Amino acid sequence: MSLAGGHAQGAIPGARFMDPAVLARIGNLELVARAVVDGFINGMHKAPYFGASVDFAEHRGYVPGDDIRRVDWKLWARTDRYYVKEYEAESNSNFSVLLDVSKSMNYGSTGITKLDYARILTACLTNLVHHQRDRVGLVTFDNDVVSFVPSSAKHMEVVLHTLENVTAGRPGSLKKPLQKLAEHFGRRGMLVVISDFYEEPDAVVDAIAPLRFRGNDLVVFHVLDKAELEFGFSDASAFEDLETGEQMPVVPEAFRKEYQSLVRAHLDALQQRFSANRVDYTVLDTSKPLDHALYRYLSSRSRMMKVR
Amino acid sequence: MAFLAPLFFVGLAALAIPVLIHLTQREKKMVQQFPSLMFVRRIPYQTVRRRKIRDLALLMVRLAALALIIAAFARPFLWRPDAATAIGPGAREVVVLLDQSYSMAYGDRWDRAKAAARDAINGLGASDRASVVLFSSGADITMRSTGERDRLTASFEAATPTPAATRYGPALKVAGSILAESPLPRREVILISDFQRNGWRGEEGSRLPAGSTVTPVMIGGPTDAPDAAVTSVALARSTFSEQERVTLTAAVANRSDKPVVNDTITLEIAGRGVQTEPLNIEANGSASIAFAPFTVTSRNMRVSVRAGMDALAFDNLFDVVVSPAVPVRIVEVEGGTRAGSGLYLARALSIGDAPKFETVTRQATDVSDDDLRRASVVLLNDVDVSVGLGRRLARFVQDGGGLFVVAGPRATWPQEADVLPATLSQTIDRSRGEAGRIGGIEYGHPVFEVFRAPRTGDFAPSRFYAYRSVTALPMSQVLARFDGGTPALVERRVGSGRVLLFASTFDLSWTDLPLKPIFLPLIHRVIVYLANYSEPAPWLTIGQVFDPAASSAKSQAAGRLALSPSGRRLPLEDEGSQTQVLELTEQGFYEIRGQSANSDVTVIASNVDPAESDLTPMDPAEITAAATGNAASNGQAAESNVPLTPEAQERTQRLWWYLLCAGILLLGTDTLLSNWLSKA
Repeated sequence: MSLAGGHAQGAIPGARFMDPAVLARIGNLELVARAVVDGFINGMHKAPYFGASVDFAEHRGYVPGDDIRRVDWKLWARTDRYYVKEYEAESNSNFSVLLDVSKSMNYGSTGITKLDYARILTACLTNLVHHQRDRVGLVTFDNDVVSFVPSSAKHMEVVLHTLENVTAGRPGSLKKPLQKLAEHFGRRGMLVVISDFYEEPDAVVDAIAPLRFRGNDLVVFHVLDKAELEFGFSDASAFEDLETGEQMPVVPEAFRKEYQSLVRAHLDALQQRFSANRVDYTVLDTSKPLDHALYRYLSSRSRMMKVR
Repeated sequence: MAFLAPLFFVGLAALAIPVLIHLTQREKKMVQQFPSLMFVRRIPYQTVRRRKIRDLALLMVRLAALALIIAAFARPFLWRPDAATAIGPGAREVVVLLDQSYSMAYGDRWDRAKAAARDAINGLGASDRASVVLFSSGADITMRSTGERDRLTASFEAATPTPAATRYGPALKVAGSILAESPLPRREVILISDFQRNGWRGEEGSRLPAGSTVTPVMIGGPTDAPDAAVTSVALARSTFSEQERVTLTAAVANRSDKPVVNDTITLEIAGRGVQTEPLNIEANGSASIAFAPFTVTSRNMRVSVRAGMDALAFDNLFDVVVSPAVPVRIVEVEGGTRAGSGLYLARALSIGDAPKFETVTRQATDVSDDDLRRASVVLLNDVDVSVGLGRRLARFVQDGGGLFVVAGPRATWPQEADVLPATLSQTIDRSRGEAGRIGGIEYGHPVFEVFRAPRTGDFAPSRFYAYRSVTALPMSQVLARFDGGTPALVERRVGSGRVLLFASTFDLSWTDLPLKPIFLPLIHRVIVYLANYSEPAPWLTIGQVFDPAASSAKSQAAGRLALSPSGRRLPLEDEGSQTQVLELTEQGFYEIRGQSANSDVTVIASNVDPAESDLTPMDPAEITAAATGNAASNGQAAESNVPLTPEAQERTQRLWWYLLCAGILLLGTDTLLSNWLSKA
């Protein structure tokens, strides 16, 4: 945990991730995820929480109904009382990724689209979680739920297959699909939402916050392309909205400052509102490696365990 | 509003270019796909809109600038039909061109021409101005741009036809310069002439200023009065009893439609008729009259051929100057040891009439100063030249004499006299094997120029069995070489004289050249060239220029002057003692003499141009069209109260100037605006 926190600002020495654009060219997501996660884990060879889910936590007095297999017989021998062993964690928690596959995700100016970046990220996270024997699931959505893979320890392959086949084709909105999903995720687990959040901050938070209502841990990854952050275009041209097809004449030099400030305000607002709702929020630049995202996830995971 | 050159408005199509570029660029604009315009949409459109408006303004400025410049080229003016009335009928600049050539003396043509000029001047309005130009081969402004009719009339009343020929070009140029300087809006040329065909050569550059009109006044009429013209004479020289005689043959043409019947033609010598022959020529026919030979007794004999009096007196007289033929005097210097070495040279120089050669043969030791003073050319035929003779010959050449050195086996030249074009070396023997030939001839040189054409002389058959090896000096020119490359004939100019060196002999000891047909003309050409001889012209034509410095009329006396046929004294030297040329303007004999009584006198015969006596007229419209650029322009345009031409109105308003300035200003604004926009 401390390691994760200590390295949250930068990459681990010796565990450099490959350029996302390079990863995107590797067709097999499983291979990509394994390469990334193995490299990541090798860099964290002393991770203390690996296997923590089976660590002993406490004893409690036996009450009728408890499984007698969990009675600590050695302690009975010493104390002549029945105690039941309690372990630190439920190792088989649910882990689901909610992936936005709206059309705006199909944008990339640096050789990798946001969707590809998100797919790799999803594959990596899923792989990582699968290593920990957790149940993995995947939901893709645009303005509705597109595909749904329920969380299961055996669904790793299905998740990867679904990720392989996912395409961005329709405009997206958060409210409707997430509302549906909030009702669905009844069991406490961990939800990771990956989207570009082209909606007003209040609407975004209103759509996402219900996911926490049943005790789910929420990690939000806001995936943005470098061009979306910096608006580094030079030629005056007509800008076309990928989702609506609307065109606008834009002189980038004249627009840049205002655009950047608007984006910054949007991100700040999201950050502020997610923090208020105790949602872990991370902005990801698709031109940067995945390690930052993985750290954020592990950090969040460790915090969840700490809380428990 | 009207336009002088409305075709320039085709250029307005160019206005479409910036618009098309604008539209094309809009069509081709790049579409940049972007995930969401959520933020872009929030940015106010103000920037975009403002830029668009500015660009539109820039486009409009550019279009306006182009349109203004094109409109300027179209030469706009405000059409005012009453412009002529406003200016008034008197505001004309009239140039009266009065033909003064000698053909105007035919019959009553000159009187009618003057009457026409008077009419033209009397027709001037109160505010009109006029100039009078008398022209023949040249043009003379006798009165320039005035409204005083009396002075204008007086300027030509006393004039008479001159012996010069007609040339319309100079007159039109003078008229053009007068009209170009005039501020008056209407410009007119009144051309009074008999419009001889020979006077118009389609002169370029005789275009009058735009808007000018030409009113031709034809002074013609039938040529029904007999007109015999002596057009040329031929002089045939002969020698009889050691006296030179000349037979004169006159060519006479009848330029009229009436035959010349029972007229006479007289040969006059020194003003006295010596022979009269009857003259009968058919209408528009010609005849040749040969007179009996007369003896040439002295230099500058004034001989005239005078046909009978008729309608045109100028062409009845033809003057020539006959002088005894001047022989080229040659001193042939021989070495003396080889008899007959000068035989072929002597034979060659004994033949020839134009010019004659007068040869004196001397031994090298016998050449006197008097011989050199009289001679034009000294011919050294294989001579061993002493230092003394060499120095005298060098002086002779410096003073303009010609020296021909034939370098045979004995020829030497003293180093003290540096006039030879080459240095002499050993003899090259070509008697064994193949004989030498002449090759590499400078056919551009006057000596060989006559042999340039095919079948005019061939040097190839000549064989050279020996010749002297010579080395040409840098300042000399090799005119011919032997086939081995050794110079055969070398020239050098020394002072005002010339030296030629031939590297072989002119007898049969070394070459067979004297036996070849080319030998005689070659020797003649060499001597004529060395003597700088030119045939004196027996007459010149009026309008030609006589250059005393370039003629044989060079007089030793200072302060030379010419006496014209009318008795005018014309100095031939200006204040700086620079020789001036003499332009022949009168018919008759000019005398050129020094101021001292015993100075040498040169007489020049000056005749009228015989082409001028051909009275065949041309269509005046040809001159009118060439001068105005408009075949339809004629005298009708000169009538009063005729509205100003569009050209004249445009010229007075000059709207194009303002349009052009406005266009240029707009272009400047465009530059500033675009700079500002690019910075914004």
